[in-house]
Amino acid sequence: MNSPATKPMPYVGVTIAVGLAALLPWFAPNQFYVHLATVGCINLMLVLGLAIIARAGQLSMGHGGFALVGGYVSALLSMKGWPPLLTPFIAGLAAAVIAAALGWIILRLRGVYFVLVAFAFSQIAVLLALDMSSVTGGANGLVGVPPISIFGYVLRAKPQFYPFALVCALTTLLLTWLLYRSPLGTMMAATAENQRLTESSGIDTHRVQVIAFTIGSGIAGFAGALSTHYLRFISPDSYTFWESVSYLTMLVVGGRDGVLGPVVGVLVLTPLPELLRSTEGLQHIIYGAVLVLCLMFVPNGLASLVQIWRSRQRVARTSAALVAEEVP
Amino acid sequence: MEIILVQTIVNGLMVGMIYVLMAIGFTMVFGIMRIVNFAHGEFYMAGAFLFAILYGSNNLPFFISVLLAVGATALLGLLMERIVFRKFRGNELNGMIASVGVALILQNSALLLWGSSARTVPPVISGVLSVGGIVFPWSRLVVIIGAIVAVVSLNLLIGHTRIGRAMRAVAQDAEIAQVQGIRVDIIFPVAFVLGVSLAAFAGVLMAPVLSVSPFIGLAPTLKAFVIVVIGGLGSVPGAVAGGLLIGLIESFAGTFVSASLSEILQFLVVIAVVLLRPQGLLGRKEREA
Repeated sequence: MNSPATKPMPYVGVTIAVGLAALLPWFAPNQFYVHLATVGCINLMLVLGLAIIARAGQLSMGHGGFALVGGYVSALLSMKGWPPLLTPFIAGLAAAVIAAALGWIILRLRGVYFVLVAFAFSQIAVLLALDMSSVTGGANGLVGVPPISIFGYVLRAKPQFYPFALVCALTTLLLTWLLYRSPLGTMMAATAENQRLTESSGIDTHRVQVIAFTIGSGIAGFAGALSTHYLRFISPDSYTFWESVSYLTMLVVGGRDGVLGPVVGVLVLTPLPELLRSTEGLQHIIYGAVLVLCLMFVPNGLASLVQIWRSRQRVARTSAALVAEEVP
Repeated sequence: MEIILVQTIVNGLMVGMIYVLMAIGFTMVFGIMRIVNFAHGEFYMAGAFLFAILYGSNNLPFFISVLLAVGATALLGLLMERIVFRKFRGNELNGMIASVGVALILQNSALLLWGSSARTVPPVISGVLSVGGIVFPWSRLVVIIGAIVAVVSLNLLIGHTRIGRAMRAVAQDAEIAQVQGIRVDIIFPVAFVLGVSLAAFAGVLMAPVLSVSPFIGLAPTLKAFVIVVIGGLGSVPGAVAGGLLIGLIESFAGTFVSASLSEILQFLVVIAVVLLRPQGLLGRKEREA
């Protein structure tokens, strides 16, 4: 696997990007941009989770279901008095445990069957949230979820929450990058590339896929919990099928290989619905069209364009050097 | 008690037959093009909407409304096959994601065109049929009869015509079928348009029973998925058996317990089938590639 992002990214570029992201609250024209950036951070975690699952050769159309589970777990525990800095981790763990159990059963299935059952699972999660109204508040959801506080410093407003979300997103990004470079990451990529061949070299691909699904869904649970504490609210409508679709769109549009793809996808698609907010139906039509057009014309995602551009430059350089050599 | 029981069965059969129509089209498109069509329910929605406009709002004659609604949706399907689905046939994962994009486009186009308010359609035949003290509302019987007619004609088409034989051959192995002189490039759009037409017809049949809105497509898509996983992806008899099973589960659980329990029960049935018979109840095992 020689995908662009498995190579170390240029450190200078990464440092500048992180620095700019960290300084955003100071130069953003208004609070709305800070909000958008916070949503982007949460989206990035969700899309990275999806990318890890895709890395092992599976897609999940039930990703929103795990975010929903995480959001409810964290909201309920923190409303019972648990510290809201701790509950997102428990939420992530809960989502991971469910994913491990479900994945162990359904990951025996080939691609599309798996997607169907994961999709059905997310529908069940929404139904349960609606149905168990004594616990979950039914369709009204849970209002007044406690904010996250770090050593007494309460992250109540947007400029306070954003740095925390950014740190969480960057940590997830770094861990994903490290995972891809680890032996497990290599096994995941090999499984996606050719499951039968990987199996024949003694790797339990079923286990690799279950682990990837567990990690990816756990991240979704954690991100869903963060979002719930940020918005201070969760309802069955918070994560529906269409949310799962939008994470998938970000992944496909950005690119499925490496960590650069999810970043690009989130950067391109998080602001889009906000820019088109005035046109309710059109916004989704454009989303759908972007998805279809990307699959048709840039099937490896926008991040792959960078790679193509780079290799073209390399070819140009090499041929220029060759020409220079021949001409005395 | 007996009356409730019979009523529950009639309801179950009605819903089940609609699911059968949805699942057959879905499973056919998968069997032949290897595309999981997440936009399948959107064609159902389009059929229902066009019928609601033609028959409900403009009072066109029933049969003309049915023909126009199904025909227009079939054309839409042909267009989508040409522009999008053709490019992804055989590519299971990307084809599925692309179909999600198509679903988004179709659903929200309907929203832009017709608004989000739900429409109701008058029943085609009002009144009831009473047999031995048990009453069957005609509106529901029309659905069951219409769906049976569609399934039987499709079966005749697949089983006894040249194009049907060609479709079966392509479903088994597109490459070998092509070598045998079958015009595969014609079979793909034919299968897709047939599948879409069945979905549109299901929408037409259901329009008078439920209220029509741009958002009614997702639920039957999910049902089609569940059914083909139970029955076996690509298997038409599996779709019939699975559809009736899910319809009856839904009707019985809805009458005697609760609607959301029925959804959870269906999910458990899926998990059980997946554990015990991954290829589905009537599906064949995937050949080793």
